[in-house]
Amino acid sequence: MALAEDTPSKYVTLVSGDGLEFVVLREATLVSPTIKGMLRGPFTEAKTGRCTFPEISGEVLEKIVEYFHYWYRNRDKEDVPDMEIPVEMCLELLQAADYFNLMPSRQEGREAA
Amino acid sequence: MSRQNRPQRRIMGPQSALTDFLQSHNISAYQIRLDADARRRAAQNNQNDTSNQSNNETAVASPASTSDVSAGPAQSTRGRRAAETNSQEEARRTEKKAIQKIKASKKFQKRKRGLADSDDEDDLARAIFRERAAPLPGQMENCAICSKRFTVTPYTRSGPDGGLLCSPCGKDLDKDDPAAKKKAKKVAGGSGARRRQLQSSILDGTYSLGAKSLMTLCIETLAKNIDLAEDLGDLPTPVIDKIARKLSRYRLLNSRTLNLFLQPAAEEVYIYDGSKLTTDDFIRVFQTVPGLKKLKIRNGIHFKDEVMDYLLSRNIELEEFYLHGANLLSESKWKEFLHQKGGTLRSLRVYWTDKHFGDDVLSVLKSACPSLSRLKVSHNQQVTGVGITALAQLDSLRHLSLDLRNNIHSDIYVDLLSKIGANLETLSLTRVQEADNTVLDAIHMHCRSLKKLRITDSEEMTDAGFARLFTGWANPGLVFLDLQKCRQLDSAQPRENPDGIGLCSNGFRALMAHSGKTLRHLNVHGCRHIEAVAFEEVFGPEKVYDAMNKVEISFCEEVSDFIVGSVFRSCPNLRELIVFGCMKVRDVRVPRGKILVGVPNAKGMVLDGDYDD
Repeated sequence: MALAEDTPSKYVTLVSGDGLEFVVLREATLVSPTIKGMLRGPFTEAKTGRCTFPEISGEVLEKIVEYFHYWYRNRDKEDVPDMEIPVEMCLELLQAADYFNLMPSRQEGREAA
Repeated sequence: MSRQNRPQRRIMGPQSALTDFLQSHNISAYQIRLDADARRRAAQNNQNDTSNQSNNETAVASPASTSDVSAGPAQSTRGRRAAETNSQEEARRTEKKAIQKIKASKKFQKRKRGLADSDDEDDLARAIFRERAAPLPGQMENCAICSKRFTVTPYTRSGPDGGLLCSPCGKDLDKDDPAAKKKAKKVAGGSGARRRQLQSSILDGTYSLGAKSLMTLCIETLAKNIDLAEDLGDLPTPVIDKIARKLSRYRLLNSRTLNLFLQPAAEEVYIYDGSKLTTDDFIRVFQTVPGLKKLKIRNGIHFKDEVMDYLLSRNIELEEFYLHGANLLSESKWKEFLHQKGGTLRSLRVYWTDKHFGDDVLSVLKSACPSLSRLKVSHNQQVTGVGITALAQLDSLRHLSLDLRNNIHSDIYVDLLSKIGANLETLSLTRVQEADNTVLDAIHMHCRSLKKLRITDSEEMTDAGFARLFTGWANPGLVFLDLQKCRQLDSAQPRENPDGIGLCSNGFRALMAHSGKTLRHLNVHGCRHIEAVAFEEVFGPEKVYDAMNKVEISFCEEVSDFIVGSVFRSCPNLRELIVFGCMKVRDVRVPRGKILVGVPNAKGMVLDGDYDD
């Protein structure tokens, strides 16, 4: 996966705690400030394009990756249909969303207030 | 069917005009009578089955004889018999034709798919025919389930095995069949509902491009299935707060779900909708969360004296207290609370209490709450000038919001501002009809650290007063300014404003010159005497207001397409511009990602822009 530093790959690899690997479009992962920070700073992740998340299970990471793509596909669209969230994974995903910093925007936040 | 189209029959002999009419519509009185006789006979037979066997013969004979009588003397027996065979044959023929038609129909083709045999096909066609040939409204029929006799109406439902159902049986069937209801709902929604939803979110200010955040999606799923949740686990506090907000929005917060949000180690409890909570639930909050520092309760109707008594008996020292709608809490309890627990209180916000939060309570604040920095009294009918005068002694106050129903004289505000104005960061005076220029002058003279200023509904302040306030004011630029409905009110001469009452052109120029660079939120709703020239000058080509995020200029009559375009140009970071009632706005191009609300045309409030600037 290690490429020349001046031309970073269009893809990054996300690795779950139980060793599952997901190759994801780099731009899609940038929705998460957490991953953005990992890929930008002077870290191993930035050089190798490989991020490991030991505390996240493959199942949850798969859903997260699905969300990255869903977000990327719809980033400029109006009236986007909601992504299905399996009820049994809801709380785990909520924790993961907090970890990846996928917080509501100001507008979304206002809805609840 | 018009009269001309009806085939004319010769009227002769015993045939009446009515019979002629009915015949021309394919209704045969004779056929109806035959059917009725047959039914009567069948009913009789049923009865006789249960009764004595020997009676049987006479019973069968008697209806036959009545039918003979009613047949009328004019028709001969032979004629009748011929008619009978004729009509039977005709019925058979029409039935056959109808079945052919049914077989060709789409509905039949659809249903047929499951079948293989041609016999089945015939049966199916016949079943559909029977369904269609069901009795017309107004006739009597036996219910297919309970066999009771009832009148057929247009609302009568057909049973699962064919036949019609009486209304109680029909209702039972509806209950068992939720699929039908679901289907009907879906039809009602459709694209119209989606469009309305979109516009609603624009108006709420919650509209945004692109996908929702993962957290929002999760929280929505969780809110839908909150009944399944036993415990939220160790989620971080902001996330739990977001869940609480979502649940309250759906009105799902009740005695059971409240437990999810009461974590013993927490310092804050925010209850956004307490309308379903009881007195015991509020007491439970203090029982479960002993380290409580910040408490917010909206719609806390049952926050009564008992709850306050319990709070007073505990070792809880609140720093922030926000109570909304607690009308049952008495004034003496408020005073007791402030005396005992006011020492640590830094923020006190009280909304919607009609009678029990008045001058006496405000007078207590000075001695009881030495560190109070934020005070908000909203929708209050009890506080008068006496209470506001008492506030002038609260040196620690930084944020003050008042929305009172009693009119307070301007002198009282002037006195208040001269004493505590220097440190105020927020000053919000909502609905102050009688406040005049002296208040503005006092703000100009004393306030030096204001960030947020709101003065609404004033009918006394003048343009000159506003211009004086903002010209050479030593206060740094404001971040939030709301001067809505500060305007002249005269129904006889609505357009004339010789005294320059309200915020007009000069005041507007002065305020933008003073605070334009720092303002994020500007509201001049209803200040309708601001002229077009002033708008054009303020949002001129060389003016840039980087901070501006939201502008409300509804009901400013002079606002035109050009001015709206200028606002978008001068405020590069603007997100939302509201122009309700600006009739000169017709057709504006809105930059991408920005929202223009309230355009007076068929498009209504839409408008997220479609071109990049």
